[in-house]
Amino acid sequence: MNDKKLKDMWNKAETLMEASAYESSSIEQFISGRSNDTTQKIRNMIIFDLVLKALALCALAIDFVLYFGTTNVMSVTVAGVAILIPLIFMQYKLLNRFSEAADNGQTTRNKLASMLTYLKTKFFTTLLSVSGTYLFVFIAGSLLYFYAAYGYVRPLDGVDFVVFLTFIILGIVLNFVVNHGQVKYHIKHLEICLNDLNDQNLKLVSENIELQRKRDRANKLLLALVLVLGILLLIIVFKNIGFIAK
Amino acid sequence: MKNRNANKTEFSELIEKHQAIIHKITMVYANGQSNREDLFQEICLQLWRSYPRFRNESKFSTWMYRVALNTAISDIRKKKTDIHFEQLHDNDRLETAPSDEKEQVKLLYRAISKLNRIDKALILLWLEEKSYDEIASILGISKTNVSVKLVRIKQKLEEMIFKIQ
Repeated sequence: MNDKKLKDMWNKAETLMEASAYESSSIEQFISGRSNDTTQKIRNMIIFDLVLKALALCALAIDFVLYFGTTNVMSVTVAGVAILIPLIFMQYKLLNRFSEAADNGQTTRNKLASMLTYLKTKFFTTLLSVSGTYLFVFIAGSLLYFYAAYGYVRPLDGVDFVVFLTFIILGIVLNFVVNHGQVKYHIKHLEICLNDLNDQNLKLVSENIELQRKRDRANKLLLALVLVLGILLLIIVFKNIGFIAK
Repeated sequence: MKNRNANKTEFSELIEKHQAIIHKITMVYANGQSNREDLFQEICLQLWRSYPRFRNESKFSTWMYRVALNTAISDIRKKKTDIHFEQLHDNDRLETAPSDEKEQVKLLYRAISKLNRIDKALILLWLEEKSYDEIASILGISKTNVSVKLVRIKQKLEEMIFKIQ
């Protein structure tokens, strides 16, 4: 079968299969709709996290005003704000990086390679940052709740403490597991496509990923430190070491 | 907001004019009417989202192929139905066509459906009379790679069509 015959068959298909012609009004509706794409889900997760972090920041600022004069609680809110602001900047930067990686306007090779690099190097950092948000939302929200309910930070007993920590850790772990599973499948798909595009592509991208991973090690350590600091803040708030804010 | 809405209308008209490109891609990448409609909508949405970054550095149709193919290749949603090609083409669009022509088209689509996602993109662009340069610039591979791959894919298609026949 020669090239001409293949093209003739293709052109016949074009004339035989009259595709449903959409009016521009229908297309306008399509572009106003919601995307079911996996990349869109990841982008939404990052945007939602940014909103949540911003809300936690506002709540901590309100806590600062409400507990004004109570040095220890004020210190906790200031520390929370000081940690949250760089985290918001970092997450915003990650959102931009992700948008660049997910841009469909680049060549197929670049799109596949940049998405794979992002998912293999930055996604873990994104998840760590998302997980950290739970802690800050919990701290800020609890402070507001305690102020409304008691007017001061009620010291928690051992059982309260275990229950709260279990919920937070479960939230973080579940978030990790669900997203990790979804991304693992996406990574496998990207690897297959890159390999199909060119046998050498995957090797080259893997080398870039290794390099990127080494560079990002510091970021991951920093984020892990923030998570530990967040947990420490939580303990300080609820243990009320040596003080009760009245 | 008004500017954005005006842009939206202008963009929709542009897509309406070039929608054949998207239809061809959905025919190759999706099975069943509802999956094709879903992919069509997704491609329109991704085109709209990428539109602000379109800088007229390439032809609009080239850019459209790039975004649409990238969307189709990356589409890993669970398919609603998995209808076989015989069923698909008997059911909807080929009812009125003469049977030998219908058979030929069915054969070609059935063979293309067996290719991997990247090979589908390559053969589709070639069948659409795109030059090797354009194919290379859409997929991001070298011209030599395009020509080597196309020889292999055409051979594969030929074998598959022969086998199915």
